[in-house]
Amino acid sequence: MYFQDLILTLQAYWKDRGCLVMQPYDVEVGAGTMNPATFLRVLGPEPWNVAYIEPSRRPTDGRYGENPNRLHQHHQLQVIMKPSPKDIQEIYLDSLRAIGISHVDHDIRFVHDDWESPTLGAWGLGWEVWCDGMEVTQFTYFQQAGGFDLSPISVELTYGLERICMFLQKTENVFDMEFGPGVTYGDVFHRQEVEMSRYCFDASDVDMLLSLFRAHETEAKRLCDMELPIPAYDSCLKCSHYFNMLDARGAISVTERAGYIARVRVLARMCAVAWLESRRTLGYPMLRDSAARSALRLDRDESDAPPKTSGPSKEDGGEQEAGAR
Amino acid sequence: MKRSARARDLLIEIGTEELPAAAVEPALDALRDRLCASLDAARLGHGALEVYGTPRRLAVITRSVSGRQPDRIKKVMGPPSRAAFDASGTPTRAAEGFARGQGVQIDALEVVDTPKGQYVAARIEEAGQQAEEILPELLHSVVAGMPFKKSMRWGEVGVSFARPIHWLLALLGTSVISFGYGDVASGKRTRGHRFLSPRSFALQSPRTYLERLEKAKVIADVDTRRQKVLEDAQRALAEHDSGWRLRDDPELLREVTQLVEWPVAIVGSFEPAHLDLPPEVLVSEMRHHQRYFSVVDESTGGLAPAFVAVSNTPVSDPDVVRAGYERVLAARLADARYFFDTDSSRRLEQRVDGLGRVVFQEKLGSVLDKVERVRALALWVASRLELEKKQRSLGRAITLAKADLTTGMVGEFPDLQGVMGRYYALADGEPEPVARAIEEHYLPRHSGDSLPSTDEGAIASIADRLDTLAGIFGIDKPPSGTADPFGLRRACLGVVAIILDRRYRFSMTSALSEAIALYEGRLTLDAATTRSRVLDFFRGRLRNLWTAKGYSVDVVEAVLTAGFDDVVAALERVEALTSIKKHPDFLSLAVAFTRASNIFAKAPSIDAQDVDPQLFESPTEKALWKSLMSVQEKVDTCLRSHDYAAALHQMIALRAPVDAFFDGVLVMAEDARVRDNRLIILRGIVDLFGRIADFSKIRSEAQGS
Repeated sequence: MYFQDLILTLQAYWKDRGCLVMQPYDVEVGAGTMNPATFLRVLGPEPWNVAYIEPSRRPTDGRYGENPNRLHQHHQLQVIMKPSPKDIQEIYLDSLRAIGISHVDHDIRFVHDDWESPTLGAWGLGWEVWCDGMEVTQFTYFQQAGGFDLSPISVELTYGLERICMFLQKTENVFDMEFGPGVTYGDVFHRQEVEMSRYCFDASDVDMLLSLFRAHETEAKRLCDMELPIPAYDSCLKCSHYFNMLDARGAISVTERAGYIARVRVLARMCAVAWLESRRTLGYPMLRDSAARSALRLDRDESDAPPKTSGPSKEDGGEQEAGAR
Repeated sequence: MKRSARARDLLIEIGTEELPAAAVEPALDALRDRLCASLDAARLGHGALEVYGTPRRLAVITRSVSGRQPDRIKKVMGPPSRAAFDASGTPTRAAEGFARGQGVQIDALEVVDTPKGQYVAARIEEAGQQAEEILPELLHSVVAGMPFKKSMRWGEVGVSFARPIHWLLALLGTSVISFGYGDVASGKRTRGHRFLSPRSFALQSPRTYLERLEKAKVIADVDTRRQKVLEDAQRALAEHDSGWRLRDDPELLREVTQLVEWPVAIVGSFEPAHLDLPPEVLVSEMRHHQRYFSVVDESTGGLAPAFVAVSNTPVSDPDVVRAGYERVLAARLADARYFFDTDSSRRLEQRVDGLGRVVFQEKLGSVLDKVERVRALALWVASRLELEKKQRSLGRAITLAKADLTTGMVGEFPDLQGVMGRYYALADGEPEPVARAIEEHYLPRHSGDSLPSTDEGAIASIADRLDTLAGIFGIDKPPSGTADPFGLRRACLGVVAIILDRRYRFSMTSALSEAIALYEGRLTLDAATTRSRVLDFFRGRLRNLWTAKGYSVDVVEAVLTAGFDDVVAALERVEALTSIKKHPDFLSLAVAFTRASNIFAKAPSIDAQDVDPQLFESPTEKALWKSLMSVQEKVDTCLRSHDYAAALHQMIALRAPVDAFFDGVLVMAEDARVRDNRLIILRGIVDLFGRIADFSKIRSEAQGS
């Protein structure tokens, strides 16, 4: 199966399971989780089912195109289903069958793995899914995002597309993998790996990155104050990206590291607060189930506004609030 | 209508998505304990409880649960007697109202004595409830209250558990106990293996549970499954090469047992060229990342280029799965080799400066700062122990001890800290004792772990831990409750274990003063406060440690109160005191000591320092003084050789003169000079005893506690 067919097959599979097929976000992200189609949409009561490819940048993982497994940029297929369906494990296993991985031939296992993103104030419980000892998917029930307890709970499935495809094609080197007929992954991405590694490790302008980080930090806060969480979140993502770039460059000491992560988390938190407020003000338009609407006392007269979403939960509380406004 | 009270077995099974492997056994223990306690509280008789579990189910069978509670007579308290009866003994309206409320005749009321006076009471016969009536609520609360390290919610279900619940099976004999949790209602259906027997099926009775599950490709009994994992792995290996055996790894075996419902062992191999990597690295790659068992080649005693993986299911072609397992491991070993080669391209000593960028603790500076303090402290300890000749290798070892923290290999496998340091040091041509001490300075990692085998390793380990204790206490971050992020309890117990193992006699107080001084003002608490808090912490650990070993609390307390500056001596004193406590004269000696120290404590301060024999008024006090002088001298000799038992036996000689003194002499004489003279004798006794223990803490059965 070509790399492009793997993508198309999985997208078609999830489309048939009721997911919207969306496109990658146009701001640099380290993982599909950071795409607003995940981070913002898992907040609040509205249902949301989506699948999209996310080219994910990991500046520290670049190896100048010399390592057969490690890449500066890899591709994830990200699926969010909210609320998580009861039979999501079975649905997921069927998606593996759709790409030719069946339990009849392979040892497929759900191995405990808890997930946490300190920058997003998010965590969840779930598994690494193993196929013959190799991790093929991260399977997570989100419990918190932006420091908010989530309800309903979303399930996130993140497929590591390069490694799955290498497994299917039995290739030992990612650059030998066939992207499409007659074109390898290396043909498409090798030069990018070389140049991006050089850029991230050796050539980036640290002063510029630092000033961009600060500029976007200020911008995110300003936009949150103006109740514009969507552009504010773009700036939050920019900060996260510039932090990763600075980290790869070795420009951030161990002591400073935690401080930068906390600063991004403050922004993510502020965006989550503003986004929830904006959805509430809009009356949660994607919440169509009438029982759920009446439970939240929506659709009454104007004066009877929907109740506020629950406040920050204990783990991620005070300090971010203080920073937020 | 009473149904039969015939006892039946009760089966509960909670069917879940795959539980964390480490969560299964604690959950089974909790399930058994909670159910047992709930049945007892509900007065439902029952036999033994047996638990079964896999990654996808937690189950418990309770034998012979009685069909109903026994009837019981309940006493309900009413108004006080004086309100219930008038002067002539006739029931008042209060009594009538109470009787009516409880549904008993007025003349059936009884009068009972309580600490608050006499009250009327009604005896009410309460018929026992049927088990079927009690169990639904009981089982719900057992399930709802299951404790997990981490719980989660899912979908729109408002409940939490370790992982989502898919089914609940609850059978009392042949009848279903109906209860619900979240969106799941209990029934008689269970499920087999996820892949091998995906359809659910009904169970008629608890009796067939294990058997039916086995047919559905699930081995529900944990011990049986663990045994099967082990035997299958051994058999698969034996078929492969008779000279190989499985590397013993009980912890991995436990984990793998909770990753499979139907174990199938598969042997795989890796490139023999990788065998020149440190075996710890190979084992780590296999066990931590892949949960593969390593293989030992019996002919060499070293690792064989092979592994055993345990699949959760038989597959159509094992070669396909084996190739997959091997492929993943090959990539990992290639990574490990890359780290090893890259790490080895720099000498450890070149990495030392880099530790300046690794934070030990925000307020306490970098790891490099720590290394420098630890080295100074360790050299100080070595000189106290008269181990100057080890100082050179000790100093070198500590300089390099943390340098492996910045290597790629330790970044990948934090567990290998110290181990990699040893390998890299040897590769750099460092002397063997230096390399060994680098590894050993992390020992013991946990209670029961091996201890350093060299003086260099032992002193480095002690110094590293004392530095951490002084620093963290010094910035006022002591452990609280279960939170001990810096592992201070472990650090403290580690120091004690090493000191006792190697019989290192040095002053803990001085060592801590030294450790605190080395922080050069970084600490937020002053030196005296920091030191006394760390010493209190040591005291608490020593008390727990020694009482847990079976020494009585009073003896341990008596010794610790008198001091534990030399921890080795403190334990010797505990041992000596424990054995002499059985001596018939000992108890009265302890009483005499207490009396002396009480009088002395209340006495005004004394100007004179020495006893003046001219002031003696009676031969008893002279006799006591003479005995004291002679005993003091003998005790001094005993203490110099740390013979505390002999010292205590010498002290027993004081019993008769002390008793005579208290019988015949009034300490608080009118003449202040005579009084002071007597107090000085008493102080001599108190001080003498105090060199071993605070005898006033000693309790005996005769004294009560």
